[in-house]
Amino acid sequence: MDPHTSVARSPFSSVVQRRRSKSHRQSYRSNVGTMSHLGYTPGFTKRRLTTCRLAPKRCSTAEINPEQRALLVREWQLSYVTPLYRFQHGHLKTYSRQLAAFLVSERQQGVAAEVGLGSTLKVTFTLVAGMAQTEEEADTVFIKILSKTPMAAPDDPQKVLWSGWLTCVGGNPDYLRTLPEDFVCLPLFCSGGTEGLTALVKAWFQRTFDCCFGRLEINSVNLQWLAALWTDCHARTSIKQLKLVWSLPAEPPMEVIYAMHAQDASELWRSVRQPGLREEEDDGSVGLAEVACFFKGLKSHFYRHFRVELSAGRLTQVSTALGSAKHGGRIKISNSSYMITTLTLLTECALLKMPI
Amino acid sequence: MSVLRPLSKLPDINAASVLLVENEEDFQQKLAGVMVKEKSVMVKVRLAKSLPLPAKNEQNRPRIDLVVFLINLMSELSLQSAEASLKHLGQGYFLGKVCFMVTNARHAALPAERMVAVRKLASGLRCPLLYAEDQTPDGVTNAAERLLVILRVAAGCVPMTTALFLSNLTSCIVPTEEEEQQNLDFDV
Repeated sequence: MDPHTSVARSPFSSVVQRRRSKSHRQSYRSNVGTMSHLGYTPGFTKRRLTTCRLAPKRCSTAEINPEQRALLVREWQLSYVTPLYRFQHGHLKTYSRQLAAFLVSERQQGVAAEVGLGSTLKVTFTLVAGMAQTEEEADTVFIKILSKTPMAAPDDPQKVLWSGWLTCVGGNPDYLRTLPEDFVCLPLFCSGGTEGLTALVKAWFQRTFDCCFGRLEINSVNLQWLAALWTDCHARTSIKQLKLVWSLPAEPPMEVIYAMHAQDASELWRSVRQPGLREEEDDGSVGLAEVACFFKGLKSHFYRHFRVELSAGRLTQVSTALGSAKHGGRIKISNSSYMITTLTLLTECALLKMPI
Repeated sequence: MSVLRPLSKLPDINAASVLLVENEEDFQQKLAGVMVKEKSVMVKVRLAKSLPLPAKNEQNRPRIDLVVFLINLMSELSLQSAEASLKHLGQGYFLGKVCFMVTNARHAALPAERMVAVRKLASGLRCPLLYAEDQTPDGVTNAAERLLVILRVAAGCVPMTTALFLSNLTSCIVPTEEEEQQNLDFDV
């Protein structure tokens, strides 16, 4: 029986099918960690679980190429993308021409009205090498929209109107292997630029590759993970300070900015991470319990001084010298050395948030 | 340390008494307003922020038939306060006279870990876990109706049914990984 046609059938028969051929595509959530349950609608009950033990990263390469440097420049807005159908890395030039034509035609319809734009737009799709962690992952694609005035000399620097990138760093290999042949999984989409252009680029992708975009928010637990991982890196690269922003549901809503010296945060983190752990024993993995303990220490210290219970509120922003992350899905990576760690965590968030 | 016990006082005829414990003290007011309007049984609602209850009210307090912990999943403090209050509850309550009700379970920004923690808590204590929506009057009415069903049984107002019997049917269950695998592998 053809495994692909059985996907459209009722769930019961798809369970039977699964035992016979492993190429049946499984939802990401059913693959991850403890509970994998394909009998019922995937994404329903057993949809967890984010791996409890994220291996943290010692990390990582010191030299980066100039394309990767372009990723550090600004703050990005995150979205998740479902797998792209028939996206080929060899056809990037064709895609750039198609996208440019699409943008120009949309503009002529009066959809995106921007004052002072040159009459032509140039779009470039480039590959960013060195980000993929395993063979099965697709390479990162960086997209730039430049404006070109017809009067300008060829040497004049072109203005970058919009830039964005699609990436998959450290995605779950089991899930990637179960994707059918024609699909490319690049679940994390970062965009920087005007809303109008972002919407147009997304519309083009949806039309060409039959994928869906959605907002990716970083919930408070993932922000706590980021804070802990960045503090962990302080031993090797100074993070200067750890700044946390909480919003409390008081009348009027209160915002608490809790900034601490990197040295103090690092000492607290080291004391949480199994006091007495020697360097040789450390296998480099951080557990969720340690992150929770670290934050419990921070909050109880705050309570002792200010009598304000931070657990009643929500963690909305975390920033260090390595980068900053906001609850609304905005991320800025300032330092190249630990970029892979941050992106691995964000890719996992995107994969979990995807509706399939 | 004063511990609440279920059978230390005499019951009243055709009356039921429920204790709503909530850290934010918001949803419990709305629920109480709806629950006291019940006509078939005389419902007495007591509100508390956390346990242990103040000793000075000990004499006037009726026998508590059902203790409901209202947890707002968006706030970590809510869950922590509920867990801390559990220690002050007598063991007799865990035979069907404790219930957990959570709100905001469908919030987009809810971390999945907290939901897992609440389910593990409820299943570890063999208590029912109810989901409620507290922003609209309809949601509050529905939640109150469900609590009244359990309350009537816990107070002994339903013949041939005890709280322990009902809790066996309604308690939250979180299967372990081995049980999950077994469910998948049976031959059709």
